[in-house]
Amino acid sequence: MTITAGIDVGSGAVKAVVVDGSAEPRVLAHAAARIRRRDVATVVDEVMGIVLAESGVDRLDYIASTGEGEEIPFATGHFYGMTTHARGALMLDPRARIVLDIGALHTRAVAMDGHGKVLDYKMTSQCASGSGQFLENIARYLGVSLAEVGPLSLTAPKPEGVSSICAVLAETDVINMVSRGIATNDILRGIHDSMAGRFARLLKSLKAEGVVFLSGGLANDIGLQASLADALAAERRNGAEIILSTDPLAIHAGALGAAIWGAFRFHRLGTTGAAWTSTEPLPTHESAR
Amino acid sequence: MSPPTPTSQAAPRSSAASRQRASIVAWARDRYEDLELGSVREWLAQEPGRKACGYLPVYVPREVIHAAGMLPVGIHGGGSMEIIRGDAWYQSYICHLPRSVVELGLTGRLDCLSAMLFPSTCDVIRNLSGMWQILSPQTWVRYVDLPQVNDPERAVEFWTGELRHILSGLTALTGKVVDDEALWASIAVYNEMRALIEELYAVRRDEPWRVPSEELYLLLRAGEVVPVEEWLVRAREYLEASAADKNRPRDNARVVLTGAFCEQPPLGLIMTIERAGCYIVDDDLLLGNRMIRGPVAQGGDPLVALARALLHQHRTTSVLYEPDPTGKAREIPERVEAARADGVIFAAPSFCDPALLDRPMLRDGAEKAGIPCIAFKYAENTGQFQQFREQAGTFSDSIKLWVGTRAEQGRVERGRTGAGGEP
Repeated sequence: MTITAGIDVGSGAVKAVVVDGSAEPRVLAHAAARIRRRDVATVVDEVMGIVLAESGVDRLDYIASTGEGEEIPFATGHFYGMTTHARGALMLDPRARIVLDIGALHTRAVAMDGHGKVLDYKMTSQCASGSGQFLENIARYLGVSLAEVGPLSLTAPKPEGVSSICAVLAETDVINMVSRGIATNDILRGIHDSMAGRFARLLKSLKAEGVVFLSGGLANDIGLQASLADALAAERRNGAEIILSTDPLAIHAGALGAAIWGAFRFHRLGTTGAAWTSTEPLPTHESAR
Repeated sequence: MSPPTPTSQAAPRSSAASRQRASIVAWARDRYEDLELGSVREWLAQEPGRKACGYLPVYVPREVIHAAGMLPVGIHGGGSMEIIRGDAWYQSYICHLPRSVVELGLTGRLDCLSAMLFPSTCDVIRNLSGMWQILSPQTWVRYVDLPQVNDPERAVEFWTGELRHILSGLTALTGKVVDDEALWASIAVYNEMRALIEELYAVRRDEPWRVPSEELYLLLRAGEVVPVEEWLVRAREYLEASAADKNRPRDNARVVLTGAFCEQPPLGLIMTIERAGCYIVDDDLLLGNRMIRGPVAQGGDPLVALARALLHQHRTTSVLYEPDPTGKAREIPERVEAARADGVIFAAPSFCDPALLDRPMLRDGAEKAGIPCIAFKYAENTGQFQQFREQAGTFSDSIKLWVGTRAEQGRVERGRTGAGGEP
């Protein structure tokens, strides 16, 4: 049995998994924590502690980092975010050939083959209006928790359109809507529609077809899923058949992919020693120095 | 030696060595960042009559400057310094280095230099030598015409003459009488420097986690502005400290970085490449340091010996004549093999004629040998590294997951691709 860990350091949250990386990878533990204004190293150590405790494993054969985790000192190796999201998506839905990773600051569409090899990608430009952080900011202005955003959006009778070009303009739109008395659910659905429009264009530019797996922090936002389905239905008139797919573990797709690729590298390297065993201190930034 | 596979078994770390290493790197960083050349000014102030001689990339005979009693000072541009007046001197299709050198000169930062040498790296640097004579008439300026002929003996004769001319020009400034003994002493100290740099490169090639490229580069940059004797002490201390303060080996791809021999990349670019998952195991940064392979042989006329060393022991580079038509095609495969690298990153400054004109020939040779390659361009003041991070990160992944690394000890054949990503 090959036991590996994957740590995905995102702009808004750190996600970690422990995986039995044998032929059929199996998730033994997973955890995520928001960074907020904390030191990223502290959050990484905290999340690693949780997954090690939950999984009860006595060793890790390879510790793989991804995302912004290049400098985690106890990592065995690092993989680029697209590589890991592709592999994680493939594990969660083997039919997927495109993954749409909706993160806190960026969204990217990645095309892959049946082995998880990245073939092409497209990414949103630097403007943050299509990002999770933007949606979180708006929810805070509106006094709505993130968990309520999706269900509320689904109840909107008259979605109000917002700017899809610029986060600053979009935030101004929202302030104007609030002062005009537009209902919260209509505002939220308008934002979801705006984001979905950008994502649909991203997928179109990648000539996406077939199963598109949603990963990242917003993958399980049911309001966004509905908006994206509507936006893609409009595109379907042009011939592209797209099936959306996701999974409760979609937020962990990057960490999962890192752990699976870590197991792959462990075998290819023919490593004899473990990256960590339970006789050593927990892998933290401090213990690795 | 084969690199160890990455595990938790890092060497025990010594806190004293760690502090020593950090202190040397901080010392080097201070000198790298100081565009006012504070350490040069301090050296000049220590004794009346001392003089310093600046030089541009790629190669000048520092032994001759040293023997003349001057401090050789490498001028490698202004990094991210704001260019206000320098841009007026060059068209938009010229690289960044000469703009920042002009800016450094016009803002008085180079006024501590009594002489300037401009080697024949390219037309831009040649023209800069003429401009310097107008901009700084109080400075002794010499365009250093490196030999470019397919006849080593005539080239040695020509280059010896050039060395004599430089020595005569510099000693006219210092008033020092330089005999063979003084020249041999300078050659000996630079032989030591070359040997130590080769040792640092060899350690990084064998254990890249022990000598990160960021630290090696900073150390070499410090060597461009401090007396060679001081640098030798610091560099030896660094080597000792790094042996006792090793980082953990990581599962990175090993790459050769090439094309950055003149205008230097920003430090952030070097760091980005290594953080993204690539160990740099060979490079041509600050190539003048390693232009001559091995020591200059002692005996006979020291200037002839120095000339012979350049003509017979030089590295293959764009700034020296390459007589062998197949030389360019063989260069990268040979370097990759010597460094036991997995791939090549062609990183050249924008508008760098010597690097970019050679790149197609070098890349063709690499690709025909089945060596994975990527290429990008930078400027010394590049401030955004995301695109490099993306390229280097995906390059490292493609080698580790689809091509195979040398660390796999022959388990995976080079060139095998798409053979299932399943562990």
